[in-house]
Amino acid sequence: MTTLQKKRVPRLLQFALVVFGVYFGFILVFDVLLGQLIPRSLLTMYMVFVVSGALMAFTFTEEGGRELVAPIKALVEDPSRKKLRNAVFVIVPLLAGYYTYTSMLPGFEAPVELRTIHPAPPSKFKAYGKSYNLTTLENPYRKYQKEDPAKFRELVKAGGDVYIKNCQYCHGDKLDGKGPYAAGLNPTPINFQDVGTIAQLQESFLFWRIATGGPGLPAEAAPWISSMPVWENFLTEEEIWEVILFLYDYTGRQPRSWK
Amino acid sequence: MNRLTLLAFCAGLLFAGTAAAKPGDAAKGKEIYDKRCTWCHGADGDGAGAAKYLLNPPPRDFTSGNYKIKSSSFEDMVPNDDDIFRMIRDGMPGTAMPGWSDLLSERDMWNLVAYVKTFAGYDKPPGAQVDFGTRISSSVESIEKGRKLYEEGDRCVECHGKSGKGSASKRLKGDAGERTWPRNLTKPWTFIGGNDPKDIFARISTGIAGTEMPSFADPKSKKKLAIEERWHVANYVASLAKAGKKVDAGNTVIKADKVDGDLPDAPDDARWENATPSTFYLVPQLIAEERFFTPSNNTITVRALYNDQMIAMLLEWDDRTRSNPGDEAAEKLADAPIAEDGVAVQLPVTVPKGMQKPYFGMGDAAHPVNIWHWKSGAKDAPESINLVNSRGFKEIEKRDAAVAGLKAKASYSDGTWKVLITRPLMTSSPEKDIQLTEGRFIPVAFAAWDGSNNSEKGSKHTMTTWYWLLLKPASGSRPLITALMVMCLFAGGLLWWARSATKPAA
Repeated sequence: MTTLQKKRVPRLLQFALVVFGVYFGFILVFDVLLGQLIPRSLLTMYMVFVVSGALMAFTFTEEGGRELVAPIKALVEDPSRKKLRNAVFVIVPLLAGYYTYTSMLPGFEAPVELRTIHPAPPSKFKAYGKSYNLTTLENPYRKYQKEDPAKFRELVKAGGDVYIKNCQYCHGDKLDGKGPYAAGLNPTPINFQDVGTIAQLQESFLFWRIATGGPGLPAEAAPWISSMPVWENFLTEEEIWEVILFLYDYTGRQPRSWK
Repeated sequence: MNRLTLLAFCAGLLFAGTAAAKPGDAAKGKEIYDKRCTWCHGADGDGAGAAKYLLNPPPRDFTSGNYKIKSSSFEDMVPNDDDIFRMIRDGMPGTAMPGWSDLLSERDMWNLVAYVKTFAGYDKPPGAQVDFGTRISSSVESIEKGRKLYEEGDRCVECHGKSGKGSASKRLKGDAGERTWPRNLTKPWTFIGGNDPKDIFARISTGIAGTEMPSFADPKSKKKLAIEERWHVANYVASLAKAGKKVDAGNTVIKADKVDGDLPDAPDDARWENATPSTFYLVPQLIAEERFFTPSNNTITVRALYNDQMIAMLLEWDDRTRSNPGDEAAEKLADAPIAEDGVAVQLPVTVPKGMQKPYFGMGDAAHPVNIWHWKSGAKDAPESINLVNSRGFKEIEKRDAAVAGLKAKASYSDGTWKVLITRPLMTSSPEKDIQLTEGRFIPVAFAAWDGSNNSEKGSKHTMTTWYWLLLKPASGSRPLITALMVMCLFAGGLLWWARSATKPAA
C-alpha cells in the first residue's frame, strides 16, 4: 500500500491536471474541432462547476482532503522550503494584482448573441391572408415527380428561374450560402448543400420560412437580425412551391415526409 | 525506396497534368452546362437567363465570342482554354459567378470549357499571345514612371480618375448596352481577373472585351504603351491599393475615443487620422419594395470621436459620381432621373437591455429607430441633414433635426464622400432620441445612396446589418488603485497565514 502511494502522482497535481484537462478539452472541442468559439462567460460558468465538482470528489474522505492540501501546508510550515515560500509569497499577490487590473480595464469585445438556428415551427401560421396548418401542409407539385416527370421538369425549371432572380444574391448560384452579398450579412445565409439543412426538413417548413421570412421567426431565433425577406410580398404561393422543388432537385436531396 | 516512391509520385503528377490538359469533351460539358449554367447564361449560351437584367455585370453572352479576361493577344478574340478554365474554377469576385472547383471535378470543368467554346464556334486555339517581355518588379522608380504614364494625356485618368477610384468623367456601357463603371483601382480585391501586377499587365495589354477598356498594346492606339511601360503602369496600379478599405470580418465594433476639448469640425480635419476606422460591407436593399439589384457602392468606413457633450461620426465611402440634380455634367453621367447622394445612420431609440434589437430594416412597431439621413443637395439646394423616427418601412415620422442638435458637413473629392455628423450625447427628448452613454454597446447600422444609379426611388440604396457603436470610456486610475489594494490584501493574508502556521514551532 505504501509503495503504491509513493509511486502515485501527488493529489494536488492530479487535481490541477483534471481541471486544466477539462479546460483545454472544452477549447479543443469547441474552438478547434467545431470551429465555434466558446463564449468566455459560458466557459467561466462551466469551469466553476468543474472546479467545485473536482474539489468535492478530491475531498470526499478526510484523508483525501488532507492529502490534497498537504503540499501547500508543507510549503508554509516546512522551514527547509523557505526560499520557495518567499518566491510564492511574492508571485501570488503580483498575479492577483495583475488579474484584477486587466479584468477592471473596460473590454471592447462585442456582446455574444446566442440564437436558435433551426427554431421549432409553429403548428399554424398566416400568409397570403390565410392560415396554414404546418402539420398537414404539402407541396402540391411534389406528386408530379412520379405522375408526370415532364411536367415536374417544367416546374423545377420555373423554380430555378425564381431562384436566380430572387435568392442567389445571398444563397449563391451553387446554393451554398455564399452569394455575392453573403459576406455583408449576419447571420449568414443558409447553405442548402449542407446535409444538415433542407435534407432534414419537410417542404412545409421551407414554405413557412420562405413565406414569412426573417420577421416571421420566433423570438429565440432573433427575427430582428435575419436578412431573409418576407417573400409573400414578392412571390406567389405557386412560385414558392416551385422554388422549393428546385432547391431539392439541384442539391439532389429529398424532403422529409410523414410517410 | 524513398526515391522510388518520389519518382512514382512525380510520374503520377505528370500523368494527371497531361490528362487534365487534354481537350475536354463538349458533349459531356453540355450535360453539366444544362444543369448548372443555363440559369444565368441561358440554354443557348447567349446570356439570356432569367436574371439577365438583374445582374451587374450581366451574365456573359458566349455567342458574342467576347471574353473579358484572357491571355491571348488583343488581336485575337479567341481566348486560351486556360483562361476559360480559370474563370470557371475561380469565379469572378463581386459578381454572381462563383468558383466551381468544390462542386465540379477538374474533368467536368475542362468538358465545360470545350462546350462553352462551341457557342462562338471557336475550334482553333488563338494565334498570338500577350507578350509579357521581361517582368519589371515593383520599385519606387517604376511606380513613379507608371504614375506619369497613367496621368499623361489623361491616358487612364479619363475613366479611372486621378486617384484610381473610377470617379467618372464619362458614362460607360458594355456590349449588352448595360451601364458599366470603371474599376475602382484602390480596391484590388474586387478585380475580377486577379490583382497581381502580371494580371494587371494582361488587362492593360488585351483590354477588356465587350467593355470600353481598350488595349494599350495596340500600335494603332494614340495612348499605346511599350511592354516596359505597361509593367510600370501595372506596378503603379498595384500600388494604389487602400488596404484600410478592406473589410475585417472580425471587427463589428466602432470604437469612439474620448477627446479632451473640441471635436474635429470638418471632414478633412487631421485629427481623424487618430480615430480607429471600421469598414463594413454595403449590400443592396432587397427586403422591401422596390428592391435594388445593381449597386455601385460596396463598403463604408466609419470613424467616431466624442467629448463630454458631443459625438462626431465620420462616414466615408467611395462613390464614382457626385450626383448633383440640376447640374448638366452630373446629369449626363447619371441614370436619369438623377437624385441626391446620401448616407444614413440608424440607431435604436432606446438601447436594448437584452438581446432584442429593433428590426434591422428601419425598426419595428415595438422598437422604433432614429435615422440620421444626410442628403448631398442639388444645384440650387444646399446639403441637408434630416431626422426621422421609424417603426418599420411604412411608419415614418419626420422630425426637426435642429431641435435634436443634429448637424452635418460633407466633402466630395475625386471619388470619395466624407460626411461628418455631430449630435449632442443627450437631447431634450429622451423618449424620442437615443441618449448616448459611455461604455455601452449600442446597435448601429448604415445606408448609402448613389443618386446617379437609380436612386430616384428612396428604397434603391445599399445598407449594412446591425453593428455596434461603443463610446470607449477613459478607464482612469481605478483599475490601478484596486489592483494595488488586492495585492496588499493577498500579501497580508499570506504573511498572516505563514505566521500563524509557524507559531507553534517557534
